[in-house]
Amino acid sequence: MEDTTRWAMRGTTACKHGKPGPLVSARGDGNNRREEREGDVEDVGLHRIQSIARPTTADEAWRLRTADPETTRFLGGGIDLILYTPETVTTLIDVSRLGRAGVSAGRAGLAISAGTTLSRILEAPEIAAYAGGFLRDVLRQVASPLQRNVATIGGAVARAHPWSDVVLALLVLDADVEVFDGAARSVPAADFYASRSQNVAPLVTGIRLPKRAPSTRGAFEKFARTGFDVGLLNCACVVEVAKGTCSRVRVAVGGTPALARRLPDVEAALEGKRPSSATIGDAASLAARGVDARDDRRASELYRRTLTEVGVRRCFERLTRDGMEGAL
Amino acid sequence: MTSLELTINGARRVVDANPGDTLLEVLRRAGHVGVKKGCGSGDCGACTVLLDGRAVNACLVLAAKAEKRAILTIEGLANGDALHPIQEAFLDEGAVQCGYCTPGMVLSAYDLLSRNPTPSEGEIREAISGNLCRCTGYVKQIRAVQTAAERMRSGRNG
Repeated sequence: MEDTTRWAMRGTTACKHGKPGPLVSARGDGNNRREEREGDVEDVGLHRIQSIARPTTADEAWRLRTADPETTRFLGGGIDLILYTPETVTTLIDVSRLGRAGVSAGRAGLAISAGTTLSRILEAPEIAAYAGGFLRDVLRQVASPLQRNVATIGGAVARAHPWSDVVLALLVLDADVEVFDGAARSVPAADFYASRSQNVAPLVTGIRLPKRAPSTRGAFEKFARTGFDVGLLNCACVVEVAKGTCSRVRVAVGGTPALARRLPDVEAALEGKRPSSATIGDAASLAARGVDARDDRRASELYRRTLTEVGVRRCFERLTRDGMEGAL
Repeated sequence: MTSLELTINGARRVVDANPGDTLLEVLRRAGHVGVKKGCGSGDCGACTVLLDGRAVNACLVLAAKAEKRAILTIEGLANGDALHPIQEAFLDEGAVQCGYCTPGMVLSAYDLLSRNPTPSEGEIREAISGNLCRCTGYVKQIRAVQTAAERMRSGRNG
């Protein structure tokens, strides 16, 4: 979460249960102005919620959502809606009854239903064994345990905050997103985010992680001010190791401040290479030059390029140190 | 307002709530003021309760989502006048100063120890990482959780 956004979204002159009270304090200006009035309570957008629908099928949920896109939202764990309820929303569509939460292993890989909490995913033995425990290690650094016990993978994927560690991890794992928008389909995560301009985003019903070679390993690096603050920048890599060289290399950087994206040039530079300090250094420099870094009030473009170089280098150094040496 | 059926500390309660009410608001209105309101945005952990055995920020859960699920607040932890071993350990180790974070800290520890009776210091730190204490340096709380774990394993309390 980002401080001024939070202030702005919850700061309002409206009192939750009545007319605005006398002004107590004010700070900021424009959209970031926050006024505190007597009798104010937080989470002001929530008081406009008039009903919660509880569909039992994706088709029913989709019909409810598309019947009135302005006033409805899908409700997963609910954290994001509580913190950032759009003012037009009056009906929440609770999608927790659409499928049984959990992680299951099949011939094609792992399937995670959308309603599965981040805690449950990181505790699943299938996840611990997948890609050397990469996803488990990422999820352990997402928010706090208290929030991970509520937040769902479907919500994290659908909301896709630019700083999302979950989106970053799914991109480097070649995950598919299962969606429903009148019909059920499965799309690569990158395509899912590239096509998000449509009026009503599809309902996320699950995640599929492809079967990976046992030698698959990944590493994740997040730069943040505190242990469970959102990252100033995050990066991750996943590789398969065979005969001492990297293959199926995936590298992505997020919070640039845009949503995570893969860096194909960096991936190509490492594909088929032995991860020496020279190749790692070259790849990190290439990432710093190629990343779509920009300024915002949290960090400068220059700082983000520097973080990218450090992050990519650390990821590959950690892979070399922790997982790949035995395979080299 | 609609009626919600909640199970709080093992007792069934029917409470009035708006669809947008958080669990924190409903619990406090129902008299469970051990559930503290701090930041209201999931940062401080003062409002921690257990929902189906897992510690959550009550400020980030809609009350409607807690229907037909087991809610445990700090008021439900002691057995009559006998404090829970975690509560006793917090007292014995001096892990309480102003006390505002204590209910949340104790319940996060309860969640941890119910799943992991022998946590490492790192696991304890991770478990209470969503509970901020502005008075102390966390050292005594960590020691208290370690003490509670030892006592719970050996069946002792105090």
